Amino acid sequence: MNTEQFAKEPSNKNPHGVEGTLQVGSVLQGRYKITGVLGVGGMGSVYQARDMNFPNVTRYVAVKEMLNLAADPGLRDMTLKNFEREANILAELSHPSIPKIFDYFSNKDRAYLVMEYINGRDLEALVNSMPNFLPLDMVQKWGVQLCDVLHYLHTHKPEPIIFRDVKPSNTMIDQHGNVRLIDFGIAKAFQTNQKGTMIGTEGYSPPEQYRGEASPAGDIYAIGATLHHVLTRRDPRLEPPFSFPERPIREANPSVSPELEAIVQRALAYEPPQRFPSALAMKEAIEQLSSGGPALIVHTNGAADDTKDKNDEFAAAGKILPKWKFKCEDEIRSTPMVYKNMVYVGAYDNNLYALETKDGNFKWKYATEGGIVGTPNIDTDNNLIIVGSEDKHLHAIDIRTGKVSWTFPTNGPIRGTVNATLGHVFFGSDDGALYAVRLTTGRLVWKFDAGAPVRSKPAVTSERIVFGNEDGDVFGLDLSGALKWRFKAKRAVTSSPVIVDDIAYFGSVDWHVYALDANNGWTVWRYRTTKPIISTPVIVNKHLYIGCVDGFMYALDTSANGKEIWKYETQGQIVSSPAYVNGALYFGSVDKNVYSLDVKKGKLRWTFETDGPIASSGAIADGMLYIGSSDHYLYALNP
Amino acid sequence: MNFLRRLIGAPTSDTDNSKHTDLTKPSAIANGVAPEISLPGTATASSPPAPLIQGVTKYSTQEITEPRDFDPTPMFGVTRQLPPLESLTSKPSKHVIYGLSTDIGMIRNNNQDSVFTFYGSSVSAESRPDFGLFIVADGMGGHHDGEHASAIAIRVIALHMLENFYLALLKIAPNDVDRPILSEVLSEAVQKANEAVSGEIPEGGTTVTAAAMLSDLLCVAHVGDSRAYLIAQDKIEQITRDHSLVQRLIELDKLTKEEAETHPQRNVLYRAIGQSDELEVDTFSCRLGPGSRLMLCSDGLWNEVSDARFLHIVQSAKTPQEACDHLITLANDGGGRDNITVVLVQVPG
Repeated sequence: MNTEQFAKEPSNKNPHGVEGTLQVGSVLQGRYKITGVLGVGGMGSVYQARDMNFPNVTRYVAVKEMLNLAADPGLRDMTLKNFEREANILAELSHPSIPKIFDYFSNKDRAYLVMEYINGRDLEALVNSMPNFLPLDMVQKWGVQLCDVLHYLHTHKPEPIIFRDVKPSNTMIDQHGNVRLIDFGIAKAFQTNQKGTMIGTEGYSPPEQYRGEASPAGDIYAIGATLHHVLTRRDPRLEPPFSFPERPIREANPSVSPELEAIVQRALAYEPPQRFPSALAMKEAIEQLSSGGPALIVHTNGAADDTKDKNDEFAAAGKILPKWKFKCEDEIRSTPMVYKNMVYVGAYDNNLYALETKDGNFKWKYATEGGIVGTPNIDTDNNLIIVGSEDKHLHAIDIRTGKVSWTFPTNGPIRGTVNATLGHVFFGSDDGALYAVRLTTGRLVWKFDAGAPVRSKPAVTSERIVFGNEDGDVFGLDLSGALKWRFKAKRAVTSSPVIVDDIAYFGSVDWHVYALDANNGWTVWRYRTTKPIISTPVIVNKHLYIGCVDGFMYALDTSANGKEIWKYETQGQIVSSPAYVNGALYFGSVDKNVYSLDVKKGKLRWTFETDGPIASSGAIADGMLYIGSSDHYLYALNP
Repeated sequence: MNFLRRLIGAPTSDTDNSKHTDLTKPSAIANGVAPEISLPGTATASSPPAPLIQGVTKYSTQEITEPRDFDPTPMFGVTRQLPPLESLTSKPSKHVIYGLSTDIGMIRNNNQDSVFTFYGSSVSAESRPDFGLFIVADGMGGHHDGEHASAIAIRVIALHMLENFYLALLKIAPNDVDRPILSEVLSEAVQKANEAVSGEIPEGGTTVTAAAMLSDLLCVAHVGDSRAYLIAQDKIEQITRDHSLVQRLIELDKLTKEEAETHPQRNVLYRAIGQSDELEVDTFSCRLGPGSRLMLCSDGLWNEVSDARFLHIVQSAKTPQEACDHLITLANDGGGRDNITVVLVQVPG
C-alpha cells in the first residue's frame, strides 16, 4: 500500500452551520493565515493555516479553535485556565506520534491551539474509504505505535497522562504511514453537561468509564476497540456496548491470526485487571507477532476456549468408532427408526431390515418390489411398521414377525415418509396425491389431489395437515382432507414441514426456509440461503436447524423471525436432516462424513467418515446414533 | 343509557352524559372525586364514548330499572320491550378490543411520546384475517426534535404498513398465494422510519415499539427502551429487550435489576431510530393465545409502575381503556417524571 494515499487536501470551502467559522484568508494574531478547514465540530473548528512568520517557505500549521460557551463569567475563567494548563502539558510532550504544539492564545469567547499540521487521514476515514480490509502488517505496526505513544503518556512524569479517547477518528495516519495521535481531550473542558434521556454509544470506551474512572487500563481497552474496528470493519458504535467478545475478529476477517485476535480480545477484557498490565506489555505482544516469534500471551478469555475446543475435537475425532455396522445390498438413503431395542431401516435394495440395536444382528427383512426411500413409521398400538416403496405401494408389516399385514396401492412410486398418527396413515405419492388410509385395515379414507408428486412427510396436528409438493405448493388441509389454504414456493418443497405452536417450518428448493402460520398459510418469516434446501428442519427450544445444498448447516432463531444464530460449513451438500440430542446435532453430508456439532455455537464436536455420500438422517436412541450411507452400510455410532 | 334511549326514544341530553360517568364509577362518587378530572393533562386521555354494546354491560340491572331522570310512568313503546335480564347479560367480546392513553406527565412541558393504533376486522365469507397495528414511540432531543422524531416515526411506519400490508391484504384475491410477509413489511417500515427521522431531524431520535397483528399472530419490531408486554394466564412477561446501557450491563451480569433502577446512566440508550444509517431492529413473532393481552408502553410508565401492578390493573379493569387510564394515573402518582404512553390490546377468549 502506498502511504501517500493517506495525504489529504484540506477543504478550502467554508462550511456552513457553525456560527462564526473563520473565513479563508483571515489572519489570527497577525501570524496565522487561514488557508482551509480541516474539520468542524460542535465546539469549534480545526483550520489549516499558513505561518506568516516564515514568509519565504510555505509552512502549514493546524489551528484548533474551541468555543468557550460557559455563560457564567467565573466558569468561563476557569475553563480558560484549564485550557492553558493542559496546553502547557501538551507543549512539553515529545514523541514521534504526538503532534508538536507551537502556540496557544485566546480571543474573546474562543481559545486557539496552534500545532503541527499533519498531512494524512484518520483511521476511521481510511477504513471507510477502503473496499477491503487494511493490510495486516500495517495494522500491526499501527497497533505497536499506538501502544508506544500511550505507554509514553502513561509513564509521563510527574503525573501520568490518560488519553481517555483513543479511537480511529483520533488516530491520524500521516503521509509516511505512521500513527499521529490527535485531539488530546483538551476540548473536554469546554463541553457542557447534557441532561435527560440520551443516546450514548459506548463505542471505544471501557465499561468503567461511566463511573468517571480514567486509568491506563481504559486506554488499553480503547486501543483494543480501535484495532477491533479496523480489523473487522465493524463500527462498535453501531453494536451493543461491550459486545466485542461476542464478535470474534476472525469470524469477520479470517486472515487475522488467532494470536493477534487473542491480543486484541485481551485488551478488551471487561475487567481492567484482565487486560494487559501496561501499554508496553501489549506493544511487546504485538511485536512478537510481527517478528514471527512465539507469542507470549496468557489467554484470559474466549480465545483460550477456542484452543481447548480444538483439542477436544481432535481428541474426540479419534474416539468415534462404529459399535457395529451392517451392510445392505444397495445404498441407504432413508432414515432408520429405533423401537424397543430394534433398529429398522429401508434400503435401495428394496428391503426393510430389522436389526438388533446392541450388535446389529439381523432379525428379519421384508422385501418390497422397489427401493425404500422414506423413513419407516411405527404404530405401537397395532405393532405395525409402515413404509412406502418405489413399487407404488404402502406396506404395513407386523413388527414382531416381519410379515405383511396389509398393503395399499397408489399410482406412483412412494418416495416420501409416511405419518402414522390419529389412527390413520397420511402419506404422499409421486402420483400427485396425498392419501389418508385407516391404520388398522389400510382402507382409503380420503385422497387429496395435490397436482404434483408429494415427497414431503405431511405434518399432522389435531386440526391441520401441512405438506408440500414438487411444484412448490404447500397445502393446509383439515383432517377430513378439505383444503383450508394453499401457499406457493417458487420451487419444490421436498423438505417436510415441522409444526410448532401452529407455525409450519420447512425448506424449499427455492433457497428459502419458510415459517407459515398453519392456520391460514400466511408467511410469518422466511430466511434465504444460497442453494436449494431438501433437508427437513429440527426445532429445539425455539432454534431451528436445517441443512442446505450450499453445504451449510444453519441455526436460525424462530423467536426472532429466523435470525441466523450460526452456520457451519461442510465440504458437501447437506440433504440429511439433523438429529438433536443433549445439546448436539448429528447429520451427514455428501462429503461422506457424519458430523456432530455443538448447538450453542455451531462448533464441530467430531466427524466420522464413511465410504459414500450421506443422504440418510440419523436416529438417536439410548445414547447411540444410527445412520445410513450410500456405501450400503448402516452405522451404529457412540456419539 | 344509550340502549334505553334506542329502545324507548328518550332525547339525548348533556345531563344524561354526566350521569353516564356517575353510574359507571360509583366509587368515584363515594370519594367525591372523579379520578380522570383530578389530574391535569389527562383530559385527552379520558374514555371516548363507549360503543353501544359496551355501554350496556356497564349498567347494573337495578340502575336500569330505576333511571333517575326518567318519568316513572312506563311508556308504551312502538316495539315490544325485550326481556330485560337476558338482553343485558354481559357477554365477552368475540373481537379484539383495545385502549390507549398518553399523557405529558408531571414534570415535562411537552409530550415527546407518539402513539398509533389501528385495527381492521372483517367478518365475511372470504375469511380474511384481521389486521392490527399498534405503535409507541418515545422521542429524544432538544427543542421540539423529540416530539417531531417520534411523530415522523409512527407516521412513516403506519403509512408503510397500511399501504404495503393492509391494503395489499384487501386487494388480493382470496386464493392468491402471492401475499405480503408481515415480518418483512414491518422491518422495512421501521427502516423507512429510520431514514425519515435521520433525514428530517438530524439532532433527534426516537424509540419505536411496533406491534403488528395478523389474526392471532403477533409480529413486533423494536428499537430503544419502550416496551411490549404479554399478559396471559395470570403472568406478565416483557417480550422486548431494552436497548439501554443498563440493560446491557444486566445481560453481561455486571449490574442487578435493582442497581439499574438507580444507575446514573439508566436513561442512556445505545440504539434508537434516527441515529445511524445502519439500524439493527429486533423483530420477533409469537401467537396471542385466547384471552391474552398485549401492552405497549413508554418508559414513563414502566419507570413509575411495577410489572406486578400492571398485571393487577390490567386484570381488574373492566375494559382496556379503563386500564390504560388507570395506569396513567398511577404513573403520575408515582412522580410522572417523563411522558407516559400506554396501549392495551385484548384478545377475545
